[in-house]
Amino acid sequence: MKLNVNGSPHDVDVEDDMPLLWVLRDELGIKGVKYGCGIAQCGACTVHVDGVAVRSCQLAAGDVDGDITTIEGLGTPDALHAVQAAWIEHQVAQCGYCQSGQIMQAASLLDLNATPTDDQIDQAMSGNLCRCGTYPRIRAAVKTAATKLQGA
Amino acid sequence: MRFVLAAVACLAAPIAVQAQTPDGMAAWSRIYAVASHPRCTNCHVGSSGRPAWDDLGYGRNRLHGMNIVADASRIGAESIPCRACHISAAGENAVPHSAPQIDDAWRLPPVELAWRGKSSAEVCTQLRDPETNDGFDLVGLIDHVRTSAFVNYGFKPGAGRNSAPGSVASLAQDLQTWGDAGMPCEEG
Repeated sequence: MKLNVNGSPHDVDVEDDMPLLWVLRDELGIKGVKYGCGIAQCGACTVHVDGVAVRSCQLAAGDVDGDITTIEGLGTPDALHAVQAAWIEHQVAQCGYCQSGQIMQAASLLDLNATPTDDQIDQAMSGNLCRCGTYPRIRAAVKTAATKLQGA
Repeated sequence: MRFVLAAVACLAAPIAVQAQTPDGMAAWSRIYAVASHPRCTNCHVGSSGRPAWDDLGYGRNRLHGMNIVADASRIGAESIPCRACHISAAGENAVPHSAPQIDDAWRLPPVELAWRGKSSAEVCTQLRDPETNDGFDLVGLIDHVRTSAFVNYGFKPGAGRNSAPGSVASLAQDLQTWGDAGMPCEEG
């Protein structure tokens, strides 16, 4: 099976029904994406398929129909995505486990809706749980990133 | 215009026999039992764009968790698309509490087809009028029921989920009976 992940082609030998999350972590060694609940209730496994946020624990490898981006492919240390930069500016992360999913969800939101209202930010991010309770900083960082992207 | 003509064709002749159609009313009652079932009404919501989780073990009047709002786009494009969790591919839906998936793009029905909290007369009046039923005549309605992945899912929702009463086949048959009887509705 051929998958394009973070701009690189991969040929993986997996069953069609293997969750994309397992393919990324166990077959390709891409560990930024996290396992949380396995039932689309927490958002820790969020990646992009053709730029749109998807819970990779729910998507079977055989159903992938676009290019995959994980947190490793969103930006680089030298060229951070605006959401990643905002995360650092607001010092969002505490334990960090959920943060790659949070950032991927936020980046997808701003790609679909460049000027989200506060309510829309809350709606978009409510599917991503953070047991450290970093929600106020997440909201602030998303707003900062939105402002920066609008000025870009 | 096509739908308007279809509506006239469907409705004009049978109205006169509407009062003498016990089979038609019985069929409608079964149709309404499906249309008012939480498996259907949880997504057949109005302009709020807030899907529900009624009767999923959390009681009635329980809105979809995670603050989900499908909004005016009806697919959540303004915040989080349904497809972030509900995969658009046929699935076993074998895991309770996971996000159901079907071979169609997960979305809410049009606002005009809001059924949650609506009476039998309200849903009936809405469903027999192509102006408020997404443009279907009787043949189209029956074909939709038979071919829609959403309708099929309502009867086979997967592990741990209660299903709408009956089957795709029985719903299609009841629509035919109701249609043949002139699409009778209860008095509002």
